[in-house]
Amino acid sequence: MIQSNDTETLKSRFETHEQYVVSAEPQIVAARFSPCGTQLVAGGFDAQVRRWSLEADKATELPVMEGHDGWVHALGFNTAGTRLFTGDSWGQLRGWAYDQPHPTPTWIQAAAHDGWLRELHVSPDGHTLATCGRDQVVRIWSADDGSLQQELVGHGQDVFCVRYHPDGRTLVTGDDRGVVKQWDVATGECLGEFDASVLYLLHRLQDVGGARVLAFDKTGQTLACGGTTPKNGGTVQGTPTILLFDVATRAVTHTLKLGAPNHCLVHDIHLHDEGFVMAVTSGTPGQGQLLFQRPEDDAPFYVNTKMPNCHSLSVHPDGTRLAVVATNRGSNGNGRRLDKEGRYAGNTSPIHLLAWGAQADA
Amino acid sequence: MNQPLCKPWEHQLSRRNWLGAVGAGAIGTAGLGGLLPPVLADDVNHNKRQVLFVWIDGGMSQLESWDPKPNTQFGGPFRAIDTTVPGIQISELLPRTAQQMHHMAIIRSLCTQDNSHSAGVARIQRGDPKNRGVTYPYFGSAVAKLMGPGQSKLPPYVWIKPGSGGFKHQDAGFLGPRYGALAFGDGQPPENLLRPETLSEPQARARSELRQRANNRYQQGRNPTVTEANSYVFDVAQTLMDRKELFDQSNFSASDVARYGSHEFGRHMLLGRKMLEAGVRFVKVNSYGWDTHGDNFNGHASLMPKFDQAFAAIIEDLAASGMLDQVLVIAMSEFGRTPRINGHIGRDHWPEAWSLAMAGCSVGRGIAVGETNAEGTWVESEEHDIGHMFHTWFKALGIDPQHTEYDNQGQPLPIAHDDCGVIKELLS
Repeated sequence: MIQSNDTETLKSRFETHEQYVVSAEPQIVAARFSPCGTQLVAGGFDAQVRRWSLEADKATELPVMEGHDGWVHALGFNTAGTRLFTGDSWGQLRGWAYDQPHPTPTWIQAAAHDGWLRELHVSPDGHTLATCGRDQVVRIWSADDGSLQQELVGHGQDVFCVRYHPDGRTLVTGDDRGVVKQWDVATGECLGEFDASVLYLLHRLQDVGGARVLAFDKTGQTLACGGTTPKNGGTVQGTPTILLFDVATRAVTHTLKLGAPNHCLVHDIHLHDEGFVMAVTSGTPGQGQLLFQRPEDDAPFYVNTKMPNCHSLSVHPDGTRLAVVATNRGSNGNGRRLDKEGRYAGNTSPIHLLAWGAQADA
Repeated sequence: MNQPLCKPWEHQLSRRNWLGAVGAGAIGTAGLGGLLPPVLADDVNHNKRQVLFVWIDGGMSQLESWDPKPNTQFGGPFRAIDTTVPGIQISELLPRTAQQMHHMAIIRSLCTQDNSHSAGVARIQRGDPKNRGVTYPYFGSAVAKLMGPGQSKLPPYVWIKPGSGGFKHQDAGFLGPRYGALAFGDGQPPENLLRPETLSEPQARARSELRQRANNRYQQGRNPTVTEANSYVFDVAQTLMDRKELFDQSNFSASDVARYGSHEFGRHMLLGRKMLEAGVRFVKVNSYGWDTHGDNFNGHASLMPKFDQAFAAIIEDLAASGMLDQVLVIAMSEFGRTPRINGHIGRDHWPEAWSLAMAGCSVGRGIAVGETNAEGTWVESEEHDIGHMFHTWFKALGIDPQHTEYDNQGQPLPIAHDDCGVIKELLS
């Protein structure tokens, strides 16, 4: 429910203030708060699951969780926070007991997907989780023992993203052509499609864009699908775009264009309980946005462009804080570029801990 | 002197324009850019060899192709897979090519000099020779000059590319426009190549006879090399007209189309095979759009399977038909891509340590030459520049790169960088 129609009021309430920055090196894909809010967990480009214990003004890194390969590209908790699930770009899926100081795997699916496991999402009741991947398949697994419960076939393309509906009876999946399918979890039947094809372009040989991220609002009446309105492949440029669908009719209700072509991709979305869209974007190196916009407005009421190349957005369980994964400045450059010590250093992923309202004042 | 034939924006080419342009250029430059006499005899001995030059414009990532470094800091999300050659792994994005590895050679020790497209494309394709105040020919033009059109009489250097076609005289450098590339835009022949229906065959023959009489008259009192060059151009055009079936893609078998892919690159590679089978000396096939500064991994996840499909198919076909003994296949870009992954999840330009793939002629089969370090950042074995590759390719084609020279109006010029040499490990 929107408490005020005044964007200035919204801006003053939700303008973020940086608390501190957690340094993640090498780069990470995304970071999420644990359901209890005391930890931040991230999947890395180095096959590790990174963790930090959060305090008011600093974060202390906890021992990494190992056993993955490639990139840890997917992670999610059950609602109770007792289990963590992680998936990697080589197709491995792991369930971890997270109610102990040193999490241990309770089960491992070494080949949950053939190659890149793109995303996972845990069902609202915590009994199952759904995964999707480059092998064009969506699978549903038992959260308890990792056994395969259901296989959803039909995309015929790389499946980028998956989300359970809040009621847990259906889930949606989005692919690299901008096709979003809704599935009956119990039967595996495809119930219909949401058309996000404006997020796709065949440019020369390259399939560009696609449905990159999905999010439901709390009621399950609205589905957001993010990506880009692609302009070209190669370097990839396009206007960051979010489509809002009415779930009942599967019709687009709003199209949010969130910047210039060099801002490119919406990487993460959260639909706030007060009815506005929170999103992060990443484009040409250096270009990153955290923005909040009401669907009915032409422009965001809040934009933060201080964080280059934002890749994930996590809202703290207390609703007053955010974690935004960004990239160090000057991350690009052709040819040999060495640091002061003469090393060829990789880039990093600063995680910005932001707060608004009373939390920021504190 | 070389006469400018067209501007870069003048890409559309009709048969008449092409004949006029090439003819004028040939007349203007006949006798220039020749070869020193000893080489000409060698040409005859090796004139069956051909080249398929697959140009991946923009920069294919070596880490997502020929030199994967899985589970390292810069390795990216993809796995490495086994090939048909024990001990050689390539990216999982090349599963079909992995099955042809026993026909192929990979070199992983390229370290070249230019990290910009604008300079790098020409610099690489001209072999980056020492600066002697002349513009060197692209590899295709060099082969056209050194080896000629062969018995097919088809244009010796054709370029199958997306977009527009035309005659790309710039490729020829000091050799003169006769050795430029005839580009088939989107795999189509030059406009108006075929005799118009309104022109009957007798009329066309009459026109040709008239041209011949004019030529004869023009020849009187002139250097025969000039008029021979002019006639050559018309002969090539006539040969193309006689081989119009080459361009008729409805003749392509359904199974071939399925194997090569119905996408643009697949169609062009299949046409490339047809051109090789017809006897074209040098066939260049281009793919554009590989400059993945952003979204590199999704980009390669989309691009590589299409490359893989067509490239593996043509290697398989050339090997099966025995043509691979006579066709040198090269797949390369102007540079590789940075190990460092930027904020747009892209890779930038990286000439410091990259790879290319080869096959055919006397290139060794089932080998990987050169080595980068564990993270793929630098060449750990001996570094090889593009000059080394030119030496090696000429050698594979039966041309001695050490003793063959161009004759540029009396100025002898080496055909490849003087300070480089053949990479012997690449040749069988």
